[in-house]
Amino acid sequence: MIALSINNLSKSYGRIKAVQGLNLEIEKGTIYGLLGPNGSGKTTTLGMILDIIKPDQGTYQWFEGKYGDYHRKKVGAILETPNFYPYLDATENLKIVDQIKGGKRNNFDDLLELVNLLHRKKSKFRAYSLGMKQRLAIAATLLGDPEVLIFDEPTNGLDPQGIAEVRNVMTEIASMGKTVLLASHILHEVEKICDHVAIIKNGKLLATGLVGSILSDDITIEVGSHDLDQLATVLSDFSNIENLSRKNTWLECTIPSDTNVEELNKFLFSKGIVTNHFVSRKRKLEEEFLEITKE
Amino acid sequence: MKYYNLLVTEWLKFRKNAVVSLLGIMFLVFMPTSIFIGKEFKNVPPQLPNNSIFFEFPSMWSYLGYVGNWLVFFFIGLMVIYMITSEVGYKTMRQNIISGYTRHDFYMSKMTSTIVLCLFVTFMYAVIGLGIGLWHTEGADLAYAFDNNWAIPRFFLMSLGYCSIGFFIAFLLRRSGIAVMFYLSYVILVEIILRWGVHGKMMGFKNSSINYYPANSFEDLMPNPLFRYAEAIPMEDLDFDFLLTYGQAAISSVIYISIFFGLSYFMFLKRDI
Repeated sequence: MIALSINNLSKSYGRIKAVQGLNLEIEKGTIYGLLGPNGSGKTTTLGMILDIIKPDQGTYQWFEGKYGDYHRKKVGAILETPNFYPYLDATENLKIVDQIKGGKRNNFDDLLELVNLLHRKKSKFRAYSLGMKQRLAIAATLLGDPEVLIFDEPTNGLDPQGIAEVRNVMTEIASMGKTVLLASHILHEVEKICDHVAIIKNGKLLATGLVGSILSDDITIEVGSHDLDQLATVLSDFSNIENLSRKNTWLECTIPSDTNVEELNKFLFSKGIVTNHFVSRKRKLEEEFLEITKE
Repeated sequence: MKYYNLLVTEWLKFRKNAVVSLLGIMFLVFMPTSIFIGKEFKNVPPQLPNNSIFFEFPSMWSYLGYVGNWLVFFFIGLMVIYMITSEVGYKTMRQNIISGYTRHDFYMSKMTSTIVLCLFVTFMYAVIGLGIGLWHTEGADLAYAFDNNWAIPRFFLMSLGYCSIGFFIAFLLRRSGIAVMFYLSYVILVEIILRWGVHGKMMGFKNSSINYYPANSFEDLMPNPLFRYAEAIPMEDLDFDFLLTYGQAAISSVIYISIFFGLSYFMFLKRDI
């Protein structure tokens, strides 16, 4: 089943084209990462599919139209910041969200326990730290047994402990079998949590697919020696070397996955290069992202 | 059931809100007490028999209604503005939509709570009026109190009128401070300048169209009762109507209320939140 299909969605603010002809399909049960730099159109896209921003053109459909106008009752979402009534406590705020979703709950302890807020359930929302506010928002997204969860930059502005807590909760939610759409500019966050990813920049979809398929098979090599200029010259003579670049105290390049790394090391030694740093690893999503989004 | 749920949700949102509570309490305190300022008027104008007309049936309904006119305009109008614009400020308006309300639901939650609020203040007007009247009118009973009494429906329409202006301004401007300033200045100042400074100069002060402005229509449903005495005074130089008749004011008010609620609805449906 298709949880969400987006067809040619566009939105402009004056001369700025925030989203341009976006097409996307998200299957039920996937953990989907929407990846893009700040200002790439992620939040605008989410705003449109949540009906708080009116698209200039294009359409979207939730759950193949199964729930009609009330599809958002089956979606739990945090967009940008956690938004609650500051003069109410956690339980009172959750009660309002539950009421909007048509629920009949009177007890929210299980959700507050899940996000580690049970001990602060009687504190007013305005007295919460940013991390606590974000965790309460995550608890609210789970009300009404949603089929899809949307998190927009959920770790923005959090301290390291808050980031770890929010990520743990998201990983736990992902393991419940729900469809998750995570918009983020933090690549390793998407890499860790998501199985599918869409990369957008300047409102355009640049790449989409399984995280594994977005990641190329190329191997990244880090190699260092006392004379980096000589090393660079020698390396460029080795067949299939690509993307050679200088880092702090070593050089970085990529080689095809079928290249024997040992052969490269032998080649360098045969040319009189003694390495003081040699690392071979798969490419990271970050590198792929920078490659895809470079002008 | 749906509208009941919308109202329950509004109640959950604002029952512990300090601003809403304060405005509500001030209305409930000032409504019965302000009329007793009339007790201090020992020397009333020659057209009035004595100050007991402020407290006796049936004239009491007009005087209490005029007090209510100002109190509803100020406290209840501001309450309606706050109940809409605070949701923009806290970003809970967009969160309500994200959580599952349709835009129609959100709009209806505000409209129904505004209507219920107006019904409540009208109920308070009726109860307080009944209490004051029965206390001060010799030999009065309920039948006499409500005999041919159109003051209560007029009070409701007047309340809904002021609230509909606030409602429209709140959806239009969205920011609490600006909306409150605009609402107060429009009703107290801008409309009067438009009527007398612009319209009156263009069309002439004797042209009755000068009276058909929104706030004036609402006000004329519960006008200052002394204006009725003023109208009775023959003055050749001032040969124009001070007030709309109740029928004219009611028809004009219904039209304006429909326009304000209708424009708010279409505006809310079309705009980004």
